[in-house]
Amino acid sequence: MIFLFYLLSTIMIVCALLVVFSKNPINNVIYLILCFIAMAGHYILLNAQFLAVVHIIVYTGAIMVLFLFVIMLLNLNKAIIIRKSTVTRVSAVITGGIFFLVLLAATRQTFEIHAKYPFNSEIGLVSGIGKTLFGEFLLPFEISSILFISAMVGAMMFGKKDA
Amino acid sequence: MSALIFIAIFGIIVLYLGFANNKAILAPIAIAGLLITMALSIKDWGVGSKYFHDMVVIDNFSIAFNVSMLIITTLIFLFGVNYYKRMEHHVAEQYALMIFALTGAFLMTSYSNLIMLFLGIEILSIPLYILAGGKKTSYRSNEASFKYFLLGSFSTAFFLFGIALVYGASSTFYLPEIKTYISQFNGHLPPMLMVGLLFILIGVSFKVAVAPFHFWSPDVYEGSPTLVTAFMATVVKTAGFAAFYRLLGMGLLPLPAPLEKTLWVMIGLSLLVGNLAALKQSNFKRLLAYSAIVHTGFMLLAMLSQHDSAGSVLLYYTFVYSLATIPLFIIFIHMKRSAKGLEDLVIFRGLYKQKPWVAVFMTILLMSLAGLPPTSGFMAKYQVFTISISQGYIAISIFAIVMAIIGVYYYFYVLREAFTDTDTPNPILITKLNAVLIVVCGVAVVLLGLFTFTIPI
Repeated sequence: MIFLFYLLSTIMIVCALLVVFSKNPINNVIYLILCFIAMAGHYILLNAQFLAVVHIIVYTGAIMVLFLFVIMLLNLNKAIIIRKSTVTRVSAVITGGIFFLVLLAATRQTFEIHAKYPFNSEIGLVSGIGKTLFGEFLLPFEISSILFISAMVGAMMFGKKDA
Repeated sequence: MSALIFIAIFGIIVLYLGFANNKAILAPIAIAGLLITMALSIKDWGVGSKYFHDMVVIDNFSIAFNVSMLIITTLIFLFGVNYYKRMEHHVAEQYALMIFALTGAFLMTSYSNLIMLFLGIEILSIPLYILAGGKKTSYRSNEASFKYFLLGSFSTAFFLFGIALVYGASSTFYLPEIKTYISQFNGHLPPMLMVGLLFILIGVSFKVAVAPFHFWSPDVYEGSPTLVTAFMATVVKTAGFAAFYRLLGMGLLPLPAPLEKTLWVMIGLSLLVGNLAALKQSNFKRLLAYSAIVHTGFMLLAMLSQHDSAGSVLLYYTFVYSLATIPLFIIFIHMKRSAKGLEDLVIFRGLYKQKPWVAVFMTILLMSLAGLPPTSGFMAKYQVFTISISQGYIAISIFAIVMAIIGVYYYFYVLREAFTDTDTPNPILITKLNAVLIVVCGVAVVLLGLFTFTIPI
């Protein structure tokens, strides 16, 4: 288990770095997909099978394919060289560096977390998630439909041609 | 709770009214729906109940803020009757999206769970991203929509990361339980919890545009259609502050020292940056955006004073601020039409000569924003300073008073243009309904200053 954890983490970190550093947009997307698959592996290690499957279907399956599709449609598969002024670069490095330091300091001093709930092998299965979703989290689950309908209205408003 | 359910369903009804192909019926029906929601909200006054496993807590605080936002939205819809007359397409969607945004705002005033806060902020934001791009042919409207969307999702990422860290440390989403968890450390929080709380504060600060998270607001205010800008400056700000107050009051106060210092610095920056940038603006919408940033500084000051009546002061402040801002946008839109789409401050030239009564009411409204007696803006600032000084925050209060005095300059700069003795390029045509709205708001701004209200919340 520990070996698998480190293997998946290494794949994730390497792929995430490659997403940032590779210049070709198609390669970026492919590395991001690899990164997501490794994350799905982490979910399985955490006994969250349903989440892992949904993660692969939604992120890798739908969103990332859409990404690739857009890149190919717009013919963006050339290497992009972004030129930014030195001031922007330096300030970006400083901001990112401070953010990294804060997170590093926070995780370095992490205290031991005691599990609040006892181990439950069925916690990540569909029935368990369904019971939580329609029990404790019923209102968030239902109210998010307002979120989706407004997003759909937006897609229609922007997409439709005004005659 | 019935109000929340009603308004969510009512938004969909308004959306379907678009099929009727009759723009004239939209605004009256939408306003009727808001009034019904208001009645349903007030019915729950004083009951104080929790719903759906404590996800939503309807108490006097949330009802007071909801009613305040409903009144403001009603004013905006009345303003919309004239505004949307020229618009051919998607008028029903505009009203529906504003009602959906209001649903999100309701969640933000009545959550007791961080998941509900997140959903509330998102349900409020996504309709706004769309509304900001409402003028499809305008390059600046597209820019505003896209900029708001990108920066908004960036801040949402921080907010969610914060929730995840707080959940990881305390294993709960419920604010009262988080409060109990924090109190056991006696101010020496574990770093993970501290970073999580900081990220949550960043996410909420972005929504209310506190400096240094304010960079989006002038661009978005400028590019969005004016009616949407008025909605953003009033309803969204009220909802954001209600959520902020709930977060601090129910969960985090007394804040751990590093976070409290961060917030004090943010107040000082908002007052300073907002004022200095507003001094140099020539665009009216940008000027109001920077003035809004200064006002967030004052509201945050009221909130951090930890006084018992801070909630009531905040309600009064946001309400009178909204009441003064909306008619200013109405006057602005009429001047803009007269000046053929120009948005600079010079378009106000000759207002007094052509429509003296509008200039007089504009003076009252700007005086209220600047915080001069006898308007309610003065009473609002006075109450903020009273509670912050009584709690012993003398230095920051004096700084805020100085900043309030500097603010008078740029409000009166606008007035100077309005009272300049020249002719406007085209006659200013103000519809009867809008004239009534301007007068009612102007009178209300003065009356609320003479008879201030405090609500036990």
